Amino acid sequence: MADIAHKTDEQLIVEKHIANLHNGFAHWPRAEEAPPALGDSRWTQDLILATWLMAETGKPPENGLEYKIGASGGGFDVLDFNIPTEDKWLPADTEIDLSIPLNRRDDGAQLNINIPMYGGGMSYGSISEHVMQARARAAQHLGTFTSTGEGGYPPSLVLYKDHIITQVATGMFGVREETIQYAPIVEFKYAQGAKPGLGGHLLGDKATDVVAAMRESVPWVSLFSPFPFHSVYSVEDHRKHVDWIRTTNPRALVSVKVSTPTDVDMVAVGSYFAGAHIVHLDGSYGGTGAAPEIAKKNIAMPIEFAIPKVHKYLVSENVREEVTLMASGGVRTAYDVAKAIALGADGCVMGTAELIAIGCTRCSNCERGRGCPFGLTTTDPLLQQLMPADWGQQRIVNMYNAYAIQLRELLRKLGLRSIRELRGRRDLLKYVG
Amino acid sequence: MPEHREAQAGYHRYHIPTRPAPDIEKWPSRFKVKVRRTGLAKLLLSEVFHYRGRKDVILSRPCMYGVFSGPVGGFMPREEHCVGCLRCTTEFPEFVRIEHNPERQKLGDSYFTFNYVDQIAYEASSGLVPVRGAGYRGKFGGEGWDGMWTDMSEIVRPTRDGIHGRETISTVVDIGYTPNFLQFDAAGQPTGSLPHYISIQLPILFEGGDLAREGHVARIYARTAAELDTLAVLPFDQAIGLGEYAHAVVPVVRPQDAPRLSQLGFAPRVVEMHGWDDALYTTITAAFPEAIIALRTGFEDAAALVGYARRGIKVFHLLADYHGRSQDGRFVLDLIREAHTAFVEAGIREEVTLLGSGGMIAAEHMPKAMICGLDAVAVDTPLLVALQARFNGECAGRDASHFSLPSNLNEAWGVQRLKNLAASWRDQLLEILGAMGLREVRRLRGEMGRAMFMKTLEADAFAGLLGYTEAN
Ligand code: SF4
Ligand code: SF4
Repeated sequence: MADIAHKTDEQLIVEKHIANLHNGFAHWPRAEEAPPALGDSRWTQDLILATWLMAETGKPPENGLEYKIGASGGGFDVLDFNIPTEDKWLPADTEIDLSIPLNRRDDGAQLNINIPMYGGGMSYGSISEHVMQARARAAQHLGTFTSTGEGGYPPSLVLYKDHIITQVATGMFGVREETIQYAPIVEFKYAQGAKPGLGGHLLGDKATDVVAAMRESVPWVSLFSPFPFHSVYSVEDHRKHVDWIRTTNPRALVSVKVSTPTDVDMVAVGSYFAGAHIVHLDGSYGGTGAAPEIAKKNIAMPIEFAIPKVHKYLVSENVREEVTLMASGGVRTAYDVAKAIALGADGCVMGTAELIAIGCTRCSNCERGRGCPFGLTTTDPLLQQLMPADWGQQRIVNMYNAYAIQLRELLRKLGLRSIRELRGRRDLLKYVG
Repeated sequence: MPEHREAQAGYHRYHIPTRPAPDIEKWPSRFKVKVRRTGLAKLLLSEVFHYRGRKDVILSRPCMYGVFSGPVGGFMPREEHCVGCLRCTTEFPEFVRIEHNPERQKLGDSYFTFNYVDQIAYEASSGLVPVRGAGYRGKFGGEGWDGMWTDMSEIVRPTRDGIHGRETISTVVDIGYTPNFLQFDAAGQPTGSLPHYISIQLPILFEGGDLAREGHVARIYARTAAELDTLAVLPFDQAIGLGEYAHAVVPVVRPQDAPRLSQLGFAPRVVEMHGWDDALYTTITAAFPEAIIALRTGFEDAAALVGYARRGIKVFHLLADYHGRSQDGRFVLDLIREAHTAFVEAGIREEVTLLGSGGMIAAEHMPKAMICGLDAVAVDTPLLVALQARFNGECAGRDASHFSLPSNLNEAWGVQRLKNLAASWRDQLLEILGAMGLREVRRLRGEMGRAMFMKTLEADAFAGLLGYTEAN
């Protein structure tokens, strides 16, 4: 009680709602009935609640929640693994390696990540600084990376710079010499799966003074990044981009994030020949802070179709062993990650799953007014306090721990000792549509 | 002259003036908000005690959208404000429950589902492109329109159009006849057939031929079409008396209208003949010698269409039912491709204009229909939904469907709703064109190489997997 007397109204309000929210995140995955309006075909009620549970416990759910697939009726949801009979499984105590290399060339730093996943770009402004911090600290803890997105590099992230990818996107917001020099990996965002062929959108309500300062723009004015990079109309132009990064930071690996047009295979090979270490394909069902609905649904192909197309083409061009292929855009679960790898990717880039771990309900209101009511995709000073960075960090770490348990168990049953052995093993998949 | 076309200081760019036009009829809210009053009362009591009367803390509620901000807060939630974020039910699982409103879900019918109705309602009331956070929430691809994706280009831009801003993309389309080539005589004068077409600013026409049976609806269509510089297709009876919008009105003429064509009172730029009829064709040509004559007919017989083209028809308005089906049950997307291909194979696709109606109920269907081969879409049921019409049961058949319009429908509101819808659809079209790197919508027509079909992609990706056969 004395405590209450010494606290400001704002502190009490934030504490009250945080306590209630945490209670709800723990309650619903264990309740007999899910909230009726929760979920959609891609992220079903069960997938959301299972993710909340994994983020709390660090283990796969054991209470019957479906945590492997959604109900979209296609793509990952109609694929399963051909698990051999038990006599072919590896012993339960077998060490299974989930690490993957990010640089398969012989130039630049030889970076590995401990799990075959890293965090995708979410820009400062589209998400709160607390969320960025939570993601960065989780990446550090897990031995992987997270990406700044295109909104600049808040100073509070510099502490974790060895685990942060600096994104250079068409708006060039916050791209400075030092943010390129911090980065072990620089990511060019040519396109984004949720809005392929359109630039990033940050609606005016979220362009606060601080966000605008970071982006060197005008507060409260919407920002629509151009599309495409107007300095790039060919692979040769793209090569100039890579050279520019190399000049500024010779250590950095270069990742090229592209969407999935009909010629995605050519784009991938072109990116490789221009010097990319990582080709990052972002499929059309990817997440976003704001995008036209028409773009999300209709432009470019889903990641499940793009991965094998690109993998096959890289193999046929004899360059598959020299490039790391990362996939994102609708990768929701550990099983999606495994399926993406079996289709030909080296690993996956995760976005929405991390947000769900820290309380997202997939309500699609990120761009509305003050932003996310759960304090995630918002720049509102009060709302963002609803998601404290240390709590968020632990939830993300727990979710990936639960994923790692599932991936190791799956590999063991498939008789594989390393996630690298799963790459391109289409023979281990079956179609169940 | 329409306001947007006023050439002030010699400069004009096409623009659709949008303005908020909120619903005039109250539709059911999207969500039901159920709060158990005893639970709420107990909470309030315990908070009064716990926070020692700190009013702002006690009254701080989870909803940011004003659902609990009425005079008695959560005891009487204002459901119409609910956006379904679920924060309240997350904070108070014991006594707050959010449900989809089944009454809202009854809007529309089995084809024009409430999701489409919601989308149109938003577009018509705001004039904006629907933009939302988080990724796509629907099924993976699907049948019909949903089984098709459009292309985009990023590092290598196949068309090299070099879009430097959506504002530079043209949405003008031509309706009429353009010969494959011109011929000249020895004196350098053109011989043979000459181009005969009009240009309109949008690949969106208003199809009221079967629907605008009420005078005030026809007037709304005609006036909006005139102000947007497009066309409104209207029954002959309704077209009479709309001479002030002569530029935009396309009367549909049936054989029984033939004796009274002179009653129209103006010379239309385009006339639609309802079904092929030799005598009617002659009568219309005589009555409106300057007009472009379009044939209004079903999609069913692509070969017959080519035959009509050889007999002089250069514009075809092809109709499927409101669910996008032909009489023999085929879907409009396949029908469009068939018709387009028939003209390509006959070597005369560039000479004719193909308009289509039926089953194209969302902005995304327009570019997809054009990629499959239409020059422009004549929009039907979405216009009625924009005017807040309700479906009376299933509305598939063109003659058998019934819609109820709001009793307080008025012209100014109706015109603004349609303008908003057109602006939103045009802007969404620009998003698609910009992503593809196309600088004008005319280049979209028949660009099948820039379309991706689920069946093909799935076969490429999954062929050889255990359990996969192409029949999947
Ligand atoms: S607004 Fe909704 S969808 Fe967006 S981050 Fe918040 S909870 Fe998730
Ligand atoms: S679901 Fe969200 S918008 Fe609806 S009442 Fe609850 S808090 Fe308000």
